[in-house]
Amino acid sequence: MLLFRSEEWIDKWCKRNNLARGEMLTIGRVWELSKLWYGNRMSVEFHGRSSEQVAEVFRQVGLQSCFWLMGT
Amino acid sequence: MDIWDVRAFVYRYFADTTRAPSTEDTARHFNISKEEAGKIYTELNHRHAFFLEPETLTIRMANPFSAIPTDFKVHANGKTYFANCAWDMLGIPAALHCDATIDAVFTESNGPVQLEIRDGQIAQGGVLAAEDGGLSDMLVHFPLPFSRWYDDLVFT
Repeated sequence: MLLFRSEEWIDKWCKRNNLARGEMLTIGRVWELSKLWYGNRMSVEFHGRSSEQVAEVFRQVGLQSCFWLMGT
Repeated sequence: MDIWDVRAFVYRYFADTTRAPSTEDTARHFNISKEEAGKIYTELNHRHAFFLEPETLTIRMANPFSAIPTDFKVHANGKTYFANCAWDMLGIPAALHCDATIDAVFTESNGPVQLEIRDGQIAQGGVLAAEDGGLSDMLVHFPLPFSRWYDDLVFT
């Protein structure tokens, strides 16, 4: 996942690399996602996540399109 | 000691030193053989707990930490970490529950950018990322859908 100054630069990068555009999130939203995704990463109790737990994390930051589903 | 104790040790080692432990480091810590440590590394790699360089027992990533230099530097707790990507540069202060200063590079336009994490909020030059539009032009691109993230983790 790469950082871009604006949407225009994402399109330039995708075009130059001959790739379709994926999903883009604002830095503020990625910070909210990071706190949920990584907040317990240092815990000795963290053994990974089930697909349901992954979906719940994404849901909490409003990521519910098929892009964020397992097995699509 | 089980494999999850080793996972926790690897993460703590990264947090404390900014580096990944070798199988020798892990073997010494748990008083096991290097070969046993290697088997556990392989199993944890298989379970996506962390990721080894291909065909080696060298840890490349324990997300959000990177064992190799990248364009995403995170200064926190008096140390400088490397993150794997633009998401993981935020993942380090999230995982360590600390303030941080992040030095990153914009892709394609190539300019440097510095971000601050303070008291659970993200800002650039004093401007907070907020629902009212602060930093709304600064974007992270996720090139692949979640179902394909682990196909090629370096590209992802």
